Amino acid sequence: MTTETVLRPAAEQQYAAELDALAKADDRPRPPRWRMSPQAVVRYVLGGTLPDGTVISPKYVGDRRLVEIAVGTLVTDRALLLVGVPGTAKSWLSEHIAAAVSGDSTRVVQGTAGTGEDAVRYGWNYARLIAEGPSEAAIVPSPVMTAMRLGAVARIEELTRMPAEVQDSFITILSEKTLPVPELGIQVQAVPGFTVIATANDRDRGVNQMSSALARRFNTVVLPPPASEDDEVRIVSARAAQLGRALELPAEPPALEEVRRVVRIFRELRNGSTVDGRTQLKRPSGSLSTAEAISVVTSGMALAGHFGDGTITADELASGLLGAVVKDRVSDTAAWQEYLEAVVKERADWRDLYRACQDR
Amino acid sequence: MAKDLPERVTLLGIRHHGPGSARMVEAALERTEPEIVLIEGPPEGDALLGHVPDLTPPVALLLHDEAEPASAAFWPFAAFSPEWRAMVWANARGVPVRFFDLAAAASLAEEPSGARKASLDPLGTLAEAAGFDDPERWWEDVVEHHTDPADLAEAVAEAMTALREEFADEVDDRTLRREAAMRQNLRQALKDTDGPVAVVCGAWHVPALRTLPPASTDAAMLKGLPKKKVSGTWVPWSHGKLATASGYGAGIDSPGWYAHLWECAPRGDTVARWFARACTVLRAEDLPASTASAVEAVRLADTLAALRGRPSPGLSEVMEAAKAVLCNGDQVPLDLIHDRLVVGERLGEVGADVPTSPLAADLDRLTRRLRLPLNATPKQIRLDLRKDTDRERSKLLRRLEVLDVPWGTPDTTRTLGTFAEAWQLHWKPEFAVALATAARHGTTVAAAADQVLTGRAADATRVVDAAETLSRSVGCEIPTAVTAARTALDRCAAAATDALELLAALPDLATTVRYGSVRGTDPELLRVALHGLLARGAVGLPLACRGVDDDTAERAIAAVDGADDAVRLAADDDHRDTWRQALRSLVAMPDAHGLPTGRATRLLWESGALDSDAVAARLHRAVSLAAGATAFVAGFLRGSAALLTADPRLFGVVDDWLSGLTTADFEAALPLLRRAVAEFSPAERRMLGDRVKGSTRGATATAADWDEALATRLATHVRSLLAEAAP
Repeated sequence: MTTETVLRPAAEQQYAAELDALAKADDRPRPPRWRMSPQAVVRYVLGGTLPDGTVISPKYVGDRRLVEIAVGTLVTDRALLLVGVPGTAKSWLSEHIAAAVSGDSTRVVQGTAGTGEDAVRYGWNYARLIAEGPSEAAIVPSPVMTAMRLGAVARIEELTRMPAEVQDSFITILSEKTLPVPELGIQVQAVPGFTVIATANDRDRGVNQMSSALARRFNTVVLPPPASEDDEVRIVSARAAQLGRALELPAEPPALEEVRRVVRIFRELRNGSTVDGRTQLKRPSGSLSTAEAISVVTSGMALAGHFGDGTITADELASGLLGAVVKDRVSDTAAWQEYLEAVVKERADWRDLYRACQDR
Repeated sequence: MAKDLPERVTLLGIRHHGPGSARMVEAALERTEPEIVLIEGPPEGDALLGHVPDLTPPVALLLHDEAEPASAAFWPFAAFSPEWRAMVWANARGVPVRFFDLAAAASLAEEPSGARKASLDPLGTLAEAAGFDDPERWWEDVVEHHTDPADLAEAVAEAMTALREEFADEVDDRTLRREAAMRQNLRQALKDTDGPVAVVCGAWHVPALRTLPPASTDAAMLKGLPKKKVSGTWVPWSHGKLATASGYGAGIDSPGWYAHLWECAPRGDTVARWFARACTVLRAEDLPASTASAVEAVRLADTLAALRGRPSPGLSEVMEAAKAVLCNGDQVPLDLIHDRLVVGERLGEVGADVPTSPLAADLDRLTRRLRLPLNATPKQIRLDLRKDTDRERSKLLRRLEVLDVPWGTPDTTRTLGTFAEAWQLHWKPEFAVALATAARHGTTVAAAADQVLTGRAADATRVVDAAETLSRSVGCEIPTAVTAARTALDRCAAAATDALELLAALPDLATTVRYGSVRGTDPELLRVALHGLLARGAVGLPLACRGVDDDTAERAIAAVDGADDAVRLAADDDHRDTWRQALRSLVAMPDAHGLPTGRATRLLWESGALDSDAVAARLHRAVSLAAGATAFVAGFLRGSAALLTADPRLFGVVDDWLSGLTTADFEAALPLLRRAVAEFSPAERRMLGDRVKGSTRGATATAADWDEALATRLATHVRSLLAEAAP
């Protein structure tokens, strides 16, 4: 499979060249089974230029210290828990770190309300189980089990969405670093290099609080929303341009000004006050994450490319904005209308956006 | 012509309060064995250096102008301060130590505020340039492995010379003068000994001391500086006050961490011990913190240091590891660790032989003069304010109260009249701390209280606060504070929009006016303030009672009561009329709440401004509006049992109204009536009951249309009412 033929290539496919260059240039000690040294992992995530001139693109825009703590945790073979509100690049960071450390970010368990223990531990190939009886060949290993055998990184997405009893099956894996298979009387012991990166969301509805026994087995890194408007604009425009290329959208990447407008609207509604701090605003119920801002811009690009003249205008943004802000018909509509009247209308160069939003 | 410094002088450029520098200084002193040690600090402190063995750091050297004690400055030292290490080293070996900075007499004159200006942190700047966030870590990383302290001192001097060229604009005249003084003192030291001399000073000053220009140039710079008599002492200091957060300009962010570095460096278990202590802090708050977590935290901190290319974990690494491992990413427990460990709450001690702070000395002097010994067991005293000694005592107690030293608690349960006060005295040992803290406000009890009160007056935003400050200022008898509080009161009153708030401040002020003559403050001055508030409040009163809810009405009736007392106590005739006028317009206001209106009616009637017939008319009018009637009557009756019994016409009016109510209306009125009656004392209730029972006597005089059946019904009602209300 080449990167051109899939909708969304994995990190290690998309950035294969960067990873190779980093591994080649890396002369620092590597922990067992790591593809590169911890310093190189940090550089891969935050970007930079290698001595041979290879440019490493930044994957995560934000505090360097957080990335260092995250990578440092993996060096100590402790499990890493990335916590944050939706859209703070938890999964994004987890994927890229896994790709850089183990060269494979696809050993993922997705946590949902329906995730069972066999997704975390192992399942059975029932045809074989019935035909041959219990044997190692009849076991269907979970991504975690595979990672333990290989000494690689296993990723757990949305850990807190799993039922509490399934979450707790990680306790043995994380503290003893073994996975017993009582049916066969054996246990799979993890080899050096095995570790777990989990992501969890502490704000959403429908999450199961982690037991403190499990929480103790993780080092926790809290990912904050982008600190400044400029950071967020940088994230949104870079990601929108990438996605536009990947989806082969005919539109031009949007002008920085349009991205800035979207980001400012999101930030102001998220913080409940305008940038200058003069006007108090109602907060909509949605999380208004950076990820949603990116999707507003890409959907604007799609609209502009297919139905407009290829450049994003206020009209294309308006529909996306409305959808992103108004999650609850009654209260959010009021918040949005208030914002339009009190803030958007007052800004002279935002008139086009005001008119476009009022038309809907 | 400038000449180089002789070889026998070792210049030790340090970072103030830096444990790394402290180690360097200790090692350098050990190696060079100087015969004189010069330390950056005011030469007037030399006399106090003999007390060093009696001190437990953190302590501060306090110097103040003898003529004007409020002009004072602190020079704090912690156990890990290089200057402190040098003092301890020299003291242990009997080597003479001298402070060799500009004389405090001159520096105090420059800064009457007494605070040292925040200056450029030169080592911090270098550390930042090297990409370090913590200058101490940079120092450790760069300096730790240096074995030859002289070499190191040379390296520091070179770096500083470069830095001085870079920041030439930042060097102000004051710094140049200080350095001239340092060179002069250094010359003197060179004259006094032929042996080695060690100089401990801020790294910033090293370049200026490396060459000695002709002495006459320096002498010219120091010419004409003020000469004053300066005296001083050692005062206990605390880690919290060393921290920048408390506003001390040359402070450090993490004294607790530095102390930890200093203590653990010889043992080499800095990080492990730090996390053990962090776990203890968390466990003390019932937060989970296991030894296993501490182990993981140490591992993460070490890994982070390795990842960042540092020889060992610094404050940022240990705090980040603590957050990720011990606190589960939560900021709240981390703040706890920050407060308890990174800053730390260590308090220094000053031995008994050391002369105390001027404030403590002043208190000592006052207690002896007033024959008021500091008592460890509680004691009651009575003060007659007409006697000078008693008045001075009261003044002292009140001033100490302002300084957060509540030695005496005023006993307000007994009213002793204008001239007497009752106090409960109890001296607690922890007051020494409060006293040391208050030492920064001033050097005498009066000056310190003055500064606190003036500050409070400047910060006051509400009328009540300003009025409270005013009455305290009067109690303390500090004219400048009284003036400041008066100004604050005017300012707040002008900005206040709530008439009730203005009126609520009146009773306090009236008492103050009454005490003013005893307290040595011109009562007229205060009366003017009172009148100002009264005038503003009176204008707004009727409107403030209009269309309000029951809670606000309760506030209003309290304000009206208090203001009326205040007016009777302290206002002149003109303003008494203004107040009556305000009450009249309140009574006349048709949609005002019944509670304050009823009370206003009563007050007017009591003062004779309304006669009983007018009151009767007013009650009837109120009663005709069914809804407002109960509130009006409640406001009218509250606390007026005696009047009700005494005035037959008033009794008749209430009587008529009560017996005219339908059963439903009466039941609806019952709760409010009970509230009004519940405030009567048992004796008053009995009196009122008697009056009802024997009503024929009084009532016949005024009520011609006497109705026996009605009276019986009323008597039953009132009797059941009183029986229910009785406790």
